[in-house]
Amino acid sequence: MKFERITLENFRQYFGRQRLEFARDKQRRVTVVHGINGTGKTSLFLAINWCLYGSEYVNNVGELISKEAISRVNTSDYVDMAVELSFLHDDGRYIMRRMRRGMKMIDGGVQPISSDEFTMIRVHGDGQSEPIKNPIGTINAILPANVRTYFLFDGEKIDDFAKPESAKQVKEAIYLVFKLETLERASRHLEAAASEYRRELKNTSSGELRTLIEKDEKSRAELANKEKRKGEVLVEIDSVRRKIADIEQQLRDIQNVRTLQQQRDRIERDLKLRRTELDDIVNQVRDLAVGAYFTLPTSVINKALAILDAKREKGEIPSNIRRQFIEDLITRMVCICGRPFEEDSIEHRRLLSLIETTLPDSLGDDVLEISAALRMFESQSIRRRTDITQLMRRRAELVDLIKDLAAEADDVGRQLKDSPLEEVSNLEKQRQNFIADIDSYNMEIGGLNRSIEELNKTIAQLDKDIIRARKNEQKEKLLSTKLYLAQEAADAIKKEYQTYADEMRARIEAKTKEIFKKLIWKDSYFQDVRLDQDFNLEVIDQYGRPARPELSAGERQVLSLSFITAMSRISEEEAPLVMDTPFGRLSSQHRANITEQLPNLADQLVLLVTDEELRDQERANLSPYIGREYRLVFDTRTNYTKITEI
Amino acid sequence: MLKERLNLLFTKYDPTIQTLISEVLTLEQAYISMERPHVKDQIDQIISRLAAKEVENIGDGNRRLIE
Repeated sequence: MKFERITLENFRQYFGRQRLEFARDKQRRVTVVHGINGTGKTSLFLAINWCLYGSEYVNNVGELISKEAISRVNTSDYVDMAVELSFLHDDGRYIMRRMRRGMKMIDGGVQPISSDEFTMIRVHGDGQSEPIKNPIGTINAILPANVRTYFLFDGEKIDDFAKPESAKQVKEAIYLVFKLETLERASRHLEAAASEYRRELKNTSSGELRTLIEKDEKSRAELANKEKRKGEVLVEIDSVRRKIADIEQQLRDIQNVRTLQQQRDRIERDLKLRRTELDDIVNQVRDLAVGAYFTLPTSVINKALAILDAKREKGEIPSNIRRQFIEDLITRMVCICGRPFEEDSIEHRRLLSLIETTLPDSLGDDVLEISAALRMFESQSIRRRTDITQLMRRRAELVDLIKDLAAEADDVGRQLKDSPLEEVSNLEKQRQNFIADIDSYNMEIGGLNRSIEELNKTIAQLDKDIIRARKNEQKEKLLSTKLYLAQEAADAIKKEYQTYADEMRARIEAKTKEIFKKLIWKDSYFQDVRLDQDFNLEVIDQYGRPARPELSAGERQVLSLSFITAMSRISEEEAPLVMDTPFGRLSSQHRANITEQLPNLADQLVLLVTDEELRDQERANLSPYIGREYRLVFDTRTNYTKITEI
Repeated sequence: MLKERLNLLFTKYDPTIQTLISEVLTLEQAYISMERPHVKDQIDQIISRLAAKEVENIGDGNRRLIE
């Protein structure tokens, strides 16, 4: 970052629009702004801070809008204040503008009418510009707000880093400037992300898909076996049935037993018909039983009907006089006999009392409808009970009939089996064996059907589970990769962090020492500068003892300045050093040393100084590096400061 | 530049890890002035995007933690 230009508009002492160009040549990179106390050096410093970071960073400094500008507008009129700063960074040119609009109040003060307006654009090499969508994030990426104090610093607070209690500040400065804080946060947040992915991964059951596919394959193989066996059994049954039919034909062909076989044929036909009828009746009973809930509330229905009937018999429902009829008589003030009556007469009062006792006409209708519906329930219930009773009776008859027919068939079979003709007896024995085989096969078919039904259900469920598990597996694969990346990145940062931190600490220590030795005039007395593992900045004297507690205010300032400029150098950040009144507490020897060295320690240097801070020797030291030089002149007649280039 | 110096720290790692670290560092840097930045969702988005690309590129060549 290199400042290019700043334009102030009605900012504190700077009334109207005032502009200042910053020196940014490689050689002449120092901008000096001279001004006696109260002319606006600190205001210029504040303007840079406010433009870059907003009001949060310039608290407790009073009104920012120029009082001269406020005095020149009427009450309730608006007055605008703005700072525009352009700078170069990473081959790009940026222009940022922060503006505040206020309204003048009766008491002469000013009330901001909205929050500050902040815009930032990037100008490309070809002159095209684009607005920056996230200006705060962009400025944080270039020079974060919490790092600004190490580059834009107030000379009066410059010795803060060298105070004995300053280890925390030194550590914070190193953490922020060298992005150790950024690394730590990145590692912590990546670790947190990895933990969350790990938790999610635990909930996505691993290997579930494989298990389900194995189960599915097993179930399907079992189903195929069962279906194959069922087919075989059905073929067997068919074959046995054909054999039985052959035997029966042979029996028909034998003269002596033909009649018996024909009798059996008739019984079998009859049995088949009866069994079919029995199945039909069982189905009908089942259907009627489904609607049998009609019979359940019979007692409730009867009770309700009894109550409604009793009320109707008493003439309560529906009322024997229609309400509308009474209301018409009252409206016309005429008796039912046609004789008129007066208000509050006996007839009038009687009609009013009747109104009170009669029910609304609609209620009577509702009661009649309910009664009809209840009677319908009652008749349906009775009819269903009758139907079921008749069917059950027929079912019992059929069961008995089938039993008798089966006994008759058994009797025929026994006669054939006991036949004196061996051929007949053998044929019947074979037939009975085949019938027993069919029973066994039918048993097996029943078992197979149950298994097939169960297996089909299992396979249907497994198919659904497999679709779900497949989705989970894809999610699991992505989650595993996310976990790997997050954990690996967090581990990598942790692994490299300490090496990097140690290297930076060692480099700052060496650079601070180098600069300090150049700036301090008692360079032989102070032997060393150390920055320990806990970031304590220490100066070691020629006796090998810590000397920081005994440093003078000026020496502390020199140590702080050495530390800050060392950070600026080591960080290699192209950020300007802006110093407000930096040499106020320094003796001439230190001032001479610093002004001699400082231009080499920053790519761009902006010094806001009083005349006392920059005397002949210091000015001579800086002279080869000064690219721009200004004087702030406060005009007591106009009450504002003018920036004049020298 | 410090950013380049930081990126150099991770050159020995897998390119996807390098990209992830670089993008997360840029994100963290943009929110460095906030004490408790809410960057969880944005970090998840970066990781998800890179992970999806990885899964697409390497098919089932899942690495250390996936195996």
